Amino acid sequence: MVSLVGIAPWSPEIVLVAAALLVFLLDTVGVKRSELFAGLASGAAALALLFVVADAGFAPFALVRTVDPSAVDAAPAGGLYAFSSLGLLFQAIFLLTAFFVALASASRPSDEKGSAIFHGLLLIATTGMLFVAVAADLVFLVLAIEVTSIATYLMVGYTRRDPRSLEAAMKFYIIGALSTALSFFGVSLLYGAFHSTSLVALSGALGGTTQPTLALLGFGFLLVGLGFKVTAVPFHAWAVDVYDGAPTDVSAFLAGGSKKIGVFAFFLVFIGPIAFFDARGAHCLTACGSVYNFHPTLAVSLGVLAILTMTIGNLLALMQRSMKRMLAYSSISQAGYMLIGIAVGTAPALAGATLQVFAHVFMKAGAFLLVAGFATIGIGPLIDDYRGLGARRPKASVAFALMLLSLAGIPLTVGFVSKFILFSAAVQAQGFFLVLAIAGLLNSAVSVFYYARVLKVMFMDRAEPVPAPLPGPPVAGGSEPAVLAAGGFGYGRATAIALATIAIVVFGIYPQPLIAAFQSAAEHFVLTGA
Amino acid sequence: MFPVLSATLILLLVGTLLTFVAGERARWVALVTSFAFLGLAAVLLYDFSGFAVAHGIELFVYPETYTWISLPWMHIDYAVGVDGISLVLILLTAFLQLATVIYSWNESKKPGAWFGLVLLTCLGCFGVFVALDVLLFFLFWEAVLVPMFFIIGYWGGPRRRYAALKFFIYTHVASIVMLVGLLVLVFYSGSTSFDFQSLQATAGELAVTAQVFVFLALFFGFGVKFPIVPFHTWLPDAHVEAPTGGSVLLAGLLLKLGGYGLIRWAVQLLPGAIPHVQWLLYAVAFASIIWGSVVSLAQRDLKRLVAFSSINHMGIVLLAIALYSSLGLLAAVLLMFAHGIVSALLFMTAGTVHHSTGSRDISKLGGMTPRTPVLATTIMIGSLASLGLPALISFPAEFIALQATWVGIGYWVLVPLIALVVTAGFYIWMMQRMLFGPPRGLPEKVDDVPRHEGMAMGILVALTVVYGLLPFLLVNLIVSSPVVGIPFP
Repeated sequence: MVSLVGIAPWSPEIVLVAAALLVFLLDTVGVKRSELFAGLASGAAALALLFVVADAGFAPFALVRTVDPSAVDAAPAGGLYAFSSLGLLFQAIFLLTAFFVALASASRPSDEKGSAIFHGLLLIATTGMLFVAVAADLVFLVLAIEVTSIATYLMVGYTRRDPRSLEAAMKFYIIGALSTALSFFGVSLLYGAFHSTSLVALSGALGGTTQPTLALLGFGFLLVGLGFKVTAVPFHAWAVDVYDGAPTDVSAFLAGGSKKIGVFAFFLVFIGPIAFFDARGAHCLTACGSVYNFHPTLAVSLGVLAILTMTIGNLLALMQRSMKRMLAYSSISQAGYMLIGIAVGTAPALAGATLQVFAHVFMKAGAFLLVAGFATIGIGPLIDDYRGLGARRPKASVAFALMLLSLAGIPLTVGFVSKFILFSAAVQAQGFFLVLAIAGLLNSAVSVFYYARVLKVMFMDRAEPVPAPLPGPPVAGGSEPAVLAAGGFGYGRATAIALATIAIVVFGIYPQPLIAAFQSAAEHFVLTGA
Repeated sequence: MFPVLSATLILLLVGTLLTFVAGERARWVALVTSFAFLGLAAVLLYDFSGFAVAHGIELFVYPETYTWISLPWMHIDYAVGVDGISLVLILLTAFLQLATVIYSWNESKKPGAWFGLVLLTCLGCFGVFVALDVLLFFLFWEAVLVPMFFIIGYWGGPRRRYAALKFFIYTHVASIVMLVGLLVLVFYSGSTSFDFQSLQATAGELAVTAQVFVFLALFFGFGVKFPIVPFHTWLPDAHVEAPTGGSVLLAGLLLKLGGYGLIRWAVQLLPGAIPHVQWLLYAVAFASIIWGSVVSLAQRDLKRLVAFSSINHMGIVLLAIALYSSLGLLAAVLLMFAHGIVSALLFMTAGTVHHSTGSRDISKLGGMTPRTPVLATTIMIGSLASLGLPALISFPAEFIALQATWVGIGYWVLVPLIALVVTAGFYIWMMQRMLFGPPRGLPEKVDDVPRHEGMAMGILVALTVVYGLLPFLLVNLIVSSPVVGIPFP
């Protein structure tokens, strides 16, 4: 008999799974209403978010804590899972993304085919993501990633009719399977080297292994396997086709949420055990050099990976004509910034990388949700189709402009704050990491151009006159698309976008409480290694 | 005490926002804001020495500090304050904002956005001059970039998109390099604070190589704004394509940001690096001085002429800073003020010539004096001021600059001296071709200076004369600044 107290820490996951099952059940008994599913999904995400934020130590919600405070940030004992403040913050980020995506998708047509699949799988995928954030064992970690991955493969192809989505789903599936295989192979090599898959056991034995080559090889395979997940160059090629081919709301979830499990997995594998072993954790509270001093190969490989990812993502983004492909490449380059944080590996750098992940919920997921909204009011997929949009849809255009400015790292947006902390942390770590900071800064200078080009198209170029609809008999079987409220976007999507925009500006101007929380969580993480 | 600097920032911010939404009434909002700004600047000036004495403050007057971001490894404040140098440049900002608003009074293309962007540019410049925290400084520095990009790109001439983009790329890349320098300055000295005064205490602990690295990064970042040869090519394009008001702000204020930044954030913080980089500063300064004056000779477009002479003048400013003596820094700040007023005046006349005759081509115009006497007189005053005629504002500045150069590096003074002769030459030649002789290239009916443009130019002419006759009004302020008080080397 499992006691209620024993399962209480899993309340967020239970809420999500229960809601997912309810969605599937309703679909089976014939209640096929998209907005109902969206309401269930966003409600469940919001409730789970409430629990997680309370667990993370946000005092006003202390009543709904589900995890014993003493269990958070305790030195890990070697089980399958452990609650850390940083993991809880990541859970909050994942749930926030799920909430935004579900809220926005409430504005999709009520009788949409496959809506239950989309919303149910959204919740299942999010559950997997929550598990990633508490993992303390490599097998647990890879399995949690797999739960998310399988759910997202199906989400990409849920429309079933659109051949481009199906192609994207297929690609996503094949690459995902490859990456999982590589990750598991890496884990098995590490098991060979350390006789354990627990991250704690790993950190305890890291210096003492008799098989250092095997261990390095294992870390290398994990690097590649997880590299696919975070779309690090050269393992990035799938991401553009998938983000482009997937239904745009799904792209928002992938780019803003599910990709970021890779970032946390990187934290766990490449920082957790090493920091714990290195015993410099306490010293690194106020930040010192990198925690990688014992094995610079890893730091340099991660750094090179970061530079490649930023630069290639940016250069390719410069050449794109399709809005979604541009956003996809920008997403790749942004992953490079996060890799800087992992390469540097100090508490400030982790705080910066986490902040970057957090900012992405609003600016990247927000941008994809807005592009989906623009598509519903008849704007084409190319950047040039946005010509003169500023005059026709001023509010939505300003929101989009703010998201792009935030992605570009223009001051007074949350994107600037996260990059500023990240690059400052890299400079502070000195040595090789100064090169990373300079590469990151130059890259963000380059990135301004493709974002600014969209602004120019929207605000400076004149729209071509829209041709008047030809008179004639209505197309057979076609009906006028239902006119949606809130400027054609629907209230759900409009609310999600408005919230994201407000968050970008508010956290951009007054980031103190946010970054203080991230900093203290990152310090605990570097200190305890979990 | 009354937070007068924050009050000014809020005034400019509110004014800017109101201007954007005021539509046709924007010019009045802008005018009121400009007068209020000038009034607050006068308050700053009036209370300056009294404040310092009363509060026993030696370094920065009207200080305000509020914590913005506080982490174990990073402390960022909203910190503002002024000393004599910043105060002189704030005065310049207030004067030029008023003059620009009056000059472009009849702007009909989106007046709300136009006046809003003018005010925003001046807000950014004011912020740069008062910011005493690395991040705050950087924010204002970047904030200047965006409105100017739109001013050139939307109101400019035929090649405005190209010019705006070039301006943006050059100055943005320079800002990034500058930010690298500033971050290294903070973190390599083991400091956690981004505050100017705590950096001043810790910067000396940097290794000399790090100091030189930071100085060079900052020099590049500020130098592109100066602009220094060989990173100057954005300037002529930006000036030629920018609308007159844009050129006025660009030459009058934006170039001064480079000089101010170099003095405040490089020279004042890293005196230890100067002996190692001085040769480079001299070389770049001489290159800018010579290149600016020689290339001016070949210009036919009046605006390009003034633009290249700006490169020459800012080269002298750089030379004066590089000397690193009290006299040199005094001359640099005086020159910046003088060049701000005079180049603004000359760009205004160039704009008016263009409106009245439909051309700015020096070689095609001639004999303007009898047809447009007021305009011709203004051009003469501006040109004579620019070539350093005594009793006009540039004279004391250039005189002190040459004296400082003589004291500092002896016969090298011949380089700026000869360049000044060339400058005088091309201005006189320009006047001879355009203003005197038989009328050429003038349309049937030539309007003399329109009323608003005349009022704006009148303000600047008056400043040229007043400060030319009474330079001590500025000198006293500048020498009260501790960085100028450095002992002679």
